[in-house]
Amino acid sequence: MPPSAQQGARQWLRALASGNRFLVVSTVGAGLVAALATIAQMGILAHLVHQGVIARQPVSTLSPWFGGLVGAIALRALAQGIQAQLAAHSSHAIRARVRRQLLTAWHHQGPIKLKASSAAELASEWLDQVDALHGYFARFLPQMWLSLLVPLLVLLVVASLDWLAALFLLLSAPLIPVFMALVGMGAEQVNQRHFETLGRLAGQFLDKVRGLTTLNLFGGIPVATEALRTQSDAYRRITMKTLKIAFLSSAVLEFFSSVAIAIVAMYVGFGLLGYIRIGPSENLTLFSGLYVLLLAPEFFQPLRLLSQHYHDRAAALGAAQLLGNRTGSAQAVSPPATQSSTSTLDAAVNVLVLDRVSVGFATRPAVLTDVSMGIRRGESVALTGPSGSGKSTLLHLMAGFLPPDSGRVSGVNQQPFGWLGQSPFVVQGTWAENLRLVAPQANDATLFDALARVGLAPLVKARSAGIHSPVTESGGGLSGGQARRLSLARIFLGDFDLVLLDEPTAGLDAGSESVVITALQELHAAGKTLVFSTHHPQLLALADRVIDVREGQLHHA
Amino acid sequence: MHELFPWLSLILQRRQRLLVGGLLILFTAISGLGLLALSGWFISATAMTGLLLAAGVPSSLNIYTPGGGIRFFAISRTLGRYAERVYNHDTILRLLADTRVRLFQGLVTAKPDVQTGRTGAQWLTRLTSDLDALDTLYIRLVAPSAVALIISGTVAALAGWLLPPAYAAILAACLLGALLLATLGLFYRTRRLAGARVLSEERIRVTAVAYVEGNAELTAAGTWDFHASQLQNLTGNFSRQQAIVDVRTGWHQAVATLLTNGAAVAALAGGLLMVESGAISGPVSVIFPLLLLGFGEVYGALPEAFGRLGGTIAAAARLNRDCAAPVGAAPAEEPFADANVSPAGACLTLTEVSVHYGESAAALGPLSLALTAGQHLGVIGASGSGKSTLANVLAGLIPPQHGRVTRHVAPGDLAYLTQRTVLFNDTLRNNLVLDGRVLSDQQLWRILALVDLTERVATMPDGLDSWLGAHGHSLSGGEARRVALARTLLTEASVVILDEPFTGVDHATRARISAALAEELATRTLVVLAHDRDALLPTDRLIHLQQARCAV
Repeated sequence: MPPSAQQGARQWLRALASGNRFLVVSTVGAGLVAALATIAQMGILAHLVHQGVIARQPVSTLSPWFGGLVGAIALRALAQGIQAQLAAHSSHAIRARVRRQLLTAWHHQGPIKLKASSAAELASEWLDQVDALHGYFARFLPQMWLSLLVPLLVLLVVASLDWLAALFLLLSAPLIPVFMALVGMGAEQVNQRHFETLGRLAGQFLDKVRGLTTLNLFGGIPVATEALRTQSDAYRRITMKTLKIAFLSSAVLEFFSSVAIAIVAMYVGFGLLGYIRIGPSENLTLFSGLYVLLLAPEFFQPLRLLSQHYHDRAAALGAAQLLGNRTGSAQAVSPPATQSSTSTLDAAVNVLVLDRVSVGFATRPAVLTDVSMGIRRGESVALTGPSGSGKSTLLHLMAGFLPPDSGRVSGVNQQPFGWLGQSPFVVQGTWAENLRLVAPQANDATLFDALARVGLAPLVKARSAGIHSPVTESGGGLSGGQARRLSLARIFLGDFDLVLLDEPTAGLDAGSESVVITALQELHAAGKTLVFSTHHPQLLALADRVIDVREGQLHHA
Repeated sequence: MHELFPWLSLILQRRQRLLVGGLLILFTAISGLGLLALSGWFISATAMTGLLLAAGVPSSLNIYTPGGGIRFFAISRTLGRYAERVYNHDTILRLLADTRVRLFQGLVTAKPDVQTGRTGAQWLTRLTSDLDALDTLYIRLVAPSAVALIISGTVAALAGWLLPPAYAAILAACLLGALLLATLGLFYRTRRLAGARVLSEERIRVTAVAYVEGNAELTAAGTWDFHASQLQNLTGNFSRQQAIVDVRTGWHQAVATLLTNGAAVAALAGGLLMVESGAISGPVSVIFPLLLLGFGEVYGALPEAFGRLGGTIAAAARLNRDCAAPVGAAPAEEPFADANVSPAGACLTLTEVSVHYGESAAALGPLSLALTAGQHLGVIGASGSGKSTLANVLAGLIPPQHGRVTRHVAPGDLAYLTQRTVLFNDTLRNNLVLDGRVLSDQQLWRILALVDLTERVATMPDGLDSWLGAHGHSLSGGEARRVALARTLLTEASVVILDEPFTGVDHATRARISAALAEELATRTLVVLAHDRDALLPTDRLIHLQQARCAV
């Protein structure tokens, strides 16, 4: 990831966290309470040992202290539980917010820009990428604050007991940023390596699964199986070389934490024996000595946890870059230009007005240059012209899916209209579910009626559950013609005044073609406004007006 | 839980590695516990000796043995952890290969169902993520549970031996409770949610894909906002389920911590009572509580793993389903008859064969067809007329629901170029010969010349050993098709089926190579299927397929 991209991703994550500050801060707060309770627990424990072992107090007189000990432990557990609860809610809230932003972004970008990414990619953005933020907000971010604050707290308590012991811990403190960098680098490397390997192995594996039929047909299964084994083994060797080095960084952290405990134990032990006669060691008691010993691991614990959660950060940064781009670019897009027209084309008569509109894709000469037209209510307009001349672009402009580079489009976005694109849209589900996409409230009879109008009634009747049977049965899908007719049924169902259709008869068999033509004739007769791109003579005959789109201009044919 | 058994038994084949890895985890855990406990004992012992010395009582303490022990544990904890991580990651990577090979073999046996229904990118992605959940099964779940059980059992037994019975009982109960809460208790409280999550994840993905694809229509119809909020709600529930699992995991972990620390309190109280009665020395009483304080590390990773177990099981169930051999009627296909005794040189005979998908109208047939050895048959049909279905039936990939297929060809004696071009991320040579036969360069070049690829391959730096695919040379659609065609020609099969052999190949090239291909195949039986006559090879006989019906 280039540094600038990573910075952008970090900023985006920070903005999310600050938008949800209360829960993030509360999570850290609960973690701090747990740490304080732990510090108290260790103190009481050391005190009890001192009283029992050195002062020889009978256990029965110590029960208030035992009560305090249990109380501290209970508080610690309570705070821990609350921390987990807050962390889960915080992450949940943040992800819900990101998903709302995503939906807005998708909506603003419109169907055309969205097409730049595959549907599977977008679904992965929606699900996997947003969920990749979970570990960061639930674990890494609170732990990052705790790994700064808790060691500080521990150090203060240790210093009040024995400044020399605190000095031992403090000596390692300047090293802590170094640790963190080491851990970070190591973890990142491990993470990257691991995911790279997994990715490559998965790639090799999927490559073979995808071609399973071919492998089977050509007797390649044994060879492929062996290759799978040897490739995995080769990757394992390479990865292990890196991992051996990467794991060293966390071993260093482990080493310092172990050595700190050992040094504190030796120092306290020799101090108590009276072998050390400098500084505060003469005043050491079993209480203070044991307390310091018990706190030493707590000094390092937050850092060790942080290193465990480090991969969450890497995953979140990757996702943040992607999601930040998506949600950021949506804000840059100007709102669709649907202001009321001031042109000579009268908006009162026209359902749709294009006023001196130009559109060009950066790499090509302009697709449409300074184009003006009006569509009157109840009119049927055919767009024709060579492929790539801009017919689809014109329809997208009219639909408001594409903002013009200059000029105005008015009329759309004010009320629902019908759209029939080139790729049929069928969801996994029943016929009824597919139809209700555009008319959630429609009753069964209306749905069946719409299907009958596009000649799908016999097909649906033949199914056991009628309109409540699945559109795609196991293995068999809808043919292109059937899918187009299903889309057309939605248009009948929606009863839209304006219908835009992009090549409604392209690639259809004769039967479906005649159904589509009849349907358009019916719509036209019913007084609907139709705009469609076509080359089909029967559709051209149906149109009140035929417009030839050629070299960025409109010609009335 | 039985869903995991096939995978656990696969993992357990590496028994020795697992044992060593587990022992390393145990060794590290013991070093960590020992470091703290021994340090505690040492401090208490020196405190008492120091006190005696200060009071003028002659007293001595061997400081070298415990000092050495502390140093040993400090080092062994570090080295143990490092060795454990390296060794166990190596194991994970080995298991990764095992599970993939197992799944691959499973998919091969389950082929008909899987191949027709589930080849999409989404299915493949899901397959990978399901597999990932299983790779770490041992390291995340099995080994830490075993280590926790061993250490808890040992400590409880020692407590029973050393501490007053009542306190030992409290301690053991606390440890048992903590262990159950962190493992099975959490599993039972999250398995349904975690399992449901895995399923609803698939549903959300499908819904998201649908809405994105239908974005234009839905926006136009003014129902986008409605559907967007539905998607948001669906995903919100999914995310809430995860939050619930997380919260339960967190609380179980917290209560487990409470209980292990409670065990430490019981050990301390019991120990101090025994010090009071003079049964044990003060420093010894410190050992148990400090050991138990270190239990956070022993139990720490368990709740996370058991909170996800429900999902892991659901993933395993799906993989088992994908690998399962399809149930249903045995294919209505007779075992192949010997080509030598076949009547009048018959090679492949279809009798009243038809294929249906679900309830929909027949995708093919009913159709009867007799193919004699050495015949070249052309089949023409528009898209959707059942061409590829016919090719699949002829190749034996799908069994017909009705009718009969009689073969006088051995299954391995048939080469089939499927409609979809399949090339692998591998060298050109390995793409041409998939079954590991060793063919001379001369043979390969001859066939490459036949499909007009000589010049193209000659420009690649490594010639026949050039790498194809994502990390190598990218071929155009027509070039890739011709590589697949060359692969088919390179088999020695006596029956060759070509489904749309020239997809993506331009007219000029097609015209150049078509006749030479037919000649190369002159001695073999050939079925070639295409959408129109131009896309065929020259054949002896031609049939037209029309909308699930056959007209000769």
